[in-house]
Amino acid sequence: MRRWKVQESKSSRILRIIILGAAAVPSLVLANGALRPRSVTAAQEKPGTTTVTIDNFSFAPVQLEIKAGTEVTWINKDDVPHTVVSDDHKLFKSRALDTDEKFSFTFKDPGTYEYFCSVHPKMTGKIIVK
Amino acid sequence: MHPFNIREALLAKHAQHVVLIHFPIALCMAGVAFDFVAYWTKRSALATAAYYNFTVAAIATLPVIATGLLAWQFQLEGEKLKGILLQHLVLGVVSSAMICLVWYVHFRSRRAPEQKLPRYCLAIELVAMGLVALTAHLGGYLSGVNISG
Repeated sequence: MRRWKVQESKSSRILRIIILGAAAVPSLVLANGALRPRSVTAAQEKPGTTTVTIDNFSFAPVQLEIKAGTEVTWINKDDVPHTVVSDDHKLFKSRALDTDEKFSFTFKDPGTYEYFCSVHPKMTGKIIVK
Repeated sequence: MHPFNIREALLAKHAQHVVLIHFPIALCMAGVAFDFVAYWTKRSALATAAYYNFTVAAIATLPVIATGLLAWQFQLEGEKLKGILLQHLVLGVVSSAMICLVWYVHFRSRRAPEQKLPRYCLAIELVAMGLVALTAHLGGYLSGVNISG
């Protein structure tokens, strides 16, 4: 009788694990589906990001003040290819960006960062990181 | 930058291409004009003037190609080109080749006993001018001379 009880408790434990596991799979799938849009939204609304638009042979805004750790994304809305290159040519340097192409860089340290377009050196901009 | 600072002007890498390109374009245009007038008026002096224009134009294409390629290496670090930049490069090389071809046809015809420029050369000259105009248009577009506001 006692052995049977032990056996019952073991089998019921296994059964419980199977049931919980089976229930967990769709739960995880549903949770994944439910969480995915939330994580995309979180990325879209990421507080540490900002955008600089390249249009009509200029950067807009020309001067930008951001907090350290902010990711700046340059998007080329011009019909002509442009680049985004830091004044020291080392910190950041994009490829030639065609229309609607983007380039991102995260400014970790405070300071003033000047940059320009290497195809059109008269196009300049400034990022002030605080 | 002072306009008469030679050092700064010569070291302005990318700007050299934009400056030098005007020479082969102008010489080529003048050469084509001289050739057509020479053909209609049968004046050999104008054909000779056209020949010398094309000679200098062909020579002037060399620094233009060199500075264009250097600009590609310096400004874009020789990255793989696409879009307008690639079109400008290809058209620029083809235009230069066409200018050199026109010069060569002139050169050969002047060495021939009859010293007469073949008619097809005028057609080649027109095609060359069309290509030069297209290359120049793209170059101007890239450089931003058409910027509005």
